[in-house]
Amino acid sequence: MIQSEMEIAENRPFSNAKLGVLILLGAETMLFAGLIGAFLVFRMGNITWPPLDHADIQLPRLVTGINTGLLIMSGITMFLSLRVIQNDLPKLFSDLLLVFTGTLGLVFLIIQGSEWFQLIGKGLTLQSGVYGGIFYVLIGCHAVHVVGAVIWLGIVTVMSLVGRFSYENYTGVETCTIYWIYVVALWPILYFLVYFA
Amino acid sequence: MFQKIVLGILLITFIITIIPLTLEACPACKNLDEPIARGFNWSVLFMMAMPFIVFGVIGGSVFYSYRRANRDLKI
Repeated sequence: MIQSEMEIAENRPFSNAKLGVLILLGAETMLFAGLIGAFLVFRMGNITWPPLDHADIQLPRLVTGINTGLLIMSGITMFLSLRVIQNDLPKLFSDLLLVFTGTLGLVFLIIQGSEWFQLIGKGLTLQSGVYGGIFYVLIGCHAVHVVGAVIWLGIVTVMSLVGRFSYENYTGVETCTIYWIYVVALWPILYFLVYFA
Repeated sequence: MFQKIVLGILLITFIITIIPLTLEACPACKNLDEPIARGFNWSVLFMMAMPFIVFGVIGGSVFYSYRRANRDLKI
């Protein structure tokens, strides 16, 4: 009886773990929709943007653009690592790709953090007004998700290194890939909205 | 019966769409000429679309996975 239930679970085309991650991402989407909605109110409510009290502040578009490229690259490498496992290619490739993805995620966070330090030095803080408030809340919320994704990826990488995944059992990598790609895909939207709108 | 229900829903939707000249979702959006009201308006529309997108994507993914699995079984 138990075995047959396990067989049913294994043969299911859409695993419970995958569905769980998708529902989590649905909730995350609503969170970010709320934040983007707040940004739209502030942005469209102000004729000049940045507001006059922050008119001298220039957001680092170029560096963040390069950073965006790095994050998109990490999405590609993450997807490739999943494909390597699914197609039963040498495990070394998938392990290397996972490590490379995590490194790109960390680099993204470090660059983002250094930008924040510079902006705080120029006077753009969470309390400095609507502009600073919405910038740090929106971008910070995404950064927290990247931190979470990097931690998750770290655990998945360690599990992969000790041989816990194979072409028959890759749910852990698959769910992590879905989350990672979500975080990566969300960033360009936020980047263009906050840095160019 | 099903066709009548669909036709009824379409007719009601059509009437609702053509009757109001302006849609005022809330008191804040009443004066649509002001930038803040425009901001609220777009924000409401954006957030209103989100549940449909979320459920559409999740439902679509599940549907597509099951359909692909059934197709693979037939082959």
